[in-house]
Amino acid sequence: MHYRIGDITRIIGLSADTLRYYEKIDLLPPVNRTTSGIRLYNESDLSRLRFIRRAKSMSFTLTEIARLLEMREDPQHARDEVRELTKRKLEEVESHMEELGTLRNELTLLINLCRGSNAGCPIIEDLDIHPEQEKHKGS
Amino acid sequence: MSIKLELFSAPGCSSCGRAAELLRELTEEVGGGRIEWRKINVLEELDYAVNLGVLSTPAIAIDGELVFTGLPPLHKLLSELDRRISAKGETSSI
Repeated sequence: MHYRIGDITRIIGLSADTLRYYEKIDLLPPVNRTTSGIRLYNESDLSRLRFIRRAKSMSFTLTEIARLLEMREDPQHARDEVRELTKRKLEEVESHMEELGTLRNELTLLINLCRGSNAGCPIIEDLDIHPEQEKHKGS
Repeated sequence: MSIKLELFSAPGCSSCGRAAELLRELTEEVGGGRIEWRKINVLEELDYAVNLGVLSTPAIAIDGELVFTGLPPLHKLLSELDRRISAKGETSSI
């Protein structure tokens, strides 16, 4: 299956300019084109772009992402430096997941406290009040 | 050595009062200072509650370990305390 640039922006949520930029800096291999020059992305491009988007959401730099893509292409023959980077990034992801897990539990607790309350949601109301109070403090 | 019970409660929690009453009675019944308990407002000790895994109230931790979520039936609470008192090498009179 082939996708035009507009399809990719809808599926991945990256702008057309960003997609063209990623190709220019070799994060993506040269994308196939029709005779009239329209880019046609394939499943492999899509998978690579999803990986880039996930890595970007973890605030990895484009340089780091390029190295990780090397690893993704050929893990068995990756350079030591790339393997080391992949290990470090895995540790970052795991620590992030731990933080997210704690945040998820905290938010679950807050929602459950609201559900269990007879009188509306005192916690959410309390959270709503704070920014206003902060504003008054500052004025 | 006493067993430390912690009751996690919150403002507006309908069964937290009942849970507190249950723990108060239980502490008196067991006697001998073998149970110490305290009520914790989760909003005041949110980090501690979340670290223990408290996701709703009431919840009961025993010796720093979350054991019951919700208000447990009395027999379950008694048997858990009995088990822990025995494990500490004391004779249970529960």
